[in-house]
Amino acid sequence: MYRWLDERLSLTRFNKKFLRKAFPVHHSFFLGEITMFAFITLVLTGIFLSFNYEPSTRIIKVAGRELPAAYASILYIDSLPFGAVLRSVHHWSANIMIAAAFLHLLRILVTGAYKKPREINWLIGLGLLGVAVVTAFTGYSLPFDAFSVTATQIGYGIGASMPYIGEWISKVIFGGEYPTMHSIPRIYSLHVLWFPLLLMALLGLHMLIMIKQKHTQPAYAKKVAPGKILGVPMMPQQGFMMTILYLLYLAVVFFIAGTWIAHPVEAFGPPTASTPAVKPDWYFLWIYGILQIIPGDFKIALPGDAVINSEFIGGVLIPGLLGLVAVLLPFVDTRKTKQRYLELPTRHPVRTSITFALLAFMLTTTLAGWKEEFGFSNGTLWAIIIIGTLATYIASYLIIIAYWGKPPKGEAGELEEA
Amino acid sequence: MYRNDTVLPFFGILFGVALWYMAYLDGVHIQNLLGHTPEELSVGQLGLITFGIVFFLYGAIGYISAFLEGSELRPGRHEAEGGVAPVILTIVLTLILVALSGVFVNAIAYGLTEGPVKSSFLGQLAAGIFLIMALLLVIYKKHFVDDEVLAEDEHSEVPW
Repeated sequence: MYRWLDERLSLTRFNKKFLRKAFPVHHSFFLGEITMFAFITLVLTGIFLSFNYEPSTRIIKVAGRELPAAYASILYIDSLPFGAVLRSVHHWSANIMIAAAFLHLLRILVTGAYKKPREINWLIGLGLLGVAVVTAFTGYSLPFDAFSVTATQIGYGIGASMPYIGEWISKVIFGGEYPTMHSIPRIYSLHVLWFPLLLMALLGLHMLIMIKQKHTQPAYAKKVAPGKILGVPMMPQQGFMMTILYLLYLAVVFFIAGTWIAHPVEAFGPPTASTPAVKPDWYFLWIYGILQIIPGDFKIALPGDAVINSEFIGGVLIPGLLGLVAVLLPFVDTRKTKQRYLELPTRHPVRTSITFALLAFMLTTTLAGWKEEFGFSNGTLWAIIIIGTLATYIASYLIIIAYWGKPPKGEAGELEEA
Repeated sequence: MYRNDTVLPFFGILFGVALWYMAYLDGVHIQNLLGHTPEELSVGQLGLITFGIVFFLYGAIGYISAFLEGSELRPGRHEAEGGVAPVILTIVLTLILVALSGVFVNAIAYGLTEGPVKSSFLGQLAAGIFLIMALLLVIYKKHFVDDEVLAEDEHSEVPW
């Protein structure tokens, strides 16, 4: 059988050329793989969900109750044997994909792996994270329960706040002023077709470029095999590691998803006229926190009846500026030679401290999302955010310098042993 | 970051467990405020458990990688040693895997014909099946697959 296929498809040549590719070994590379496996799980569980989900807000009668069809179909999925678990796995995997992609991005950041020649892949990675977040956002509006409708309305409001174009963009995405009868079919199409296709294309490109440019290797490899890619063959060794990781991923996610159903729609109930007090999902909470501490009546008038309001500043401008800094990073922090090895974070104290400060900023703004529960004033929260961010930078810089010493000048730092 | 050691994976597992514990404490706090246990997880719990999962997975696979592949690679071929103990362990795990799979199929059949089966039971059963499959692969790779380390030319023609 193999010979028959080999004569037609040159499988031996394929094996020699692709499946013998050397994969460097380092635990931090698995963060990207966790992201990829979360995406694969999303696609697989999403296929099951799409067989049973009805993307419509028309009212139907189920067991004497009048319910939107989308909401009722989620109840139907939950009633199937294993249906609730698979839906929960889908929801948890969406969360995991975003968290793992974010941590993967931080790993690239602290090891300088965005530098020459990997600038393009850094940009594609940023795009992947952005599209993953938007895809997840479109997903949590689909159950059409009281929680998801309110949470989606927050997103609609942020999108519509962009001067001049916001309302138009939001209406295109949401099929009018959310929620309308066109909203769910349109969001469904984006969620199950266009965004996943975009994610697949970006993921494919990301991997292709990674294979072409090779991984940044752990620094010891320069001593063992200078100028070479030191690694294990794609098949069977790397294949084994990937399969073990995916099985482990499934074990942990099925355990968690079965024990805690991520979004129990019956607990929230169908949408009602009275809006329940909800917060957006955790990955939007830092944006929601910024919105909480900017006075709601803040407005700057622009020509043509447009305004810059607090929603635009908190939801679009500040995240947009952070995104712009990320986009420009590989063109500002550059190097002349090709980067082949992981840089040690302790040898780059400024960059590492900025990364910690960024995390402190996101954590403190996330905490601001619980402004009402904490009972803090805007001034106190601003102080916590600003002082927390700056103090984290200074403290981490001083700790790195005190513990590991000042970094050597030039591009040789990565070779020093940790 | 210098080599494939277990320092960061250790902290990965530590962070993962700490985040899960924080999620548990968050749940207890919410329960005290409401006077009952809500059916749904809070947004904070979702975030904490999610990062807990990623950190835990990262730590676990980091340890497995160090165990199976070592902390530093050296070019060449290293033959697997085999052994009786891994064979016995493989047989025992396979039997458990078959038994769990049987219970799982029966539970699904029961759900189709008799009535609902608890989601937590089905989820944990599936988790057990996947975990044993992962363990089987770890044992197989460690004891029966020859290791090979390549030192490849940087300018290979893959994929172009």
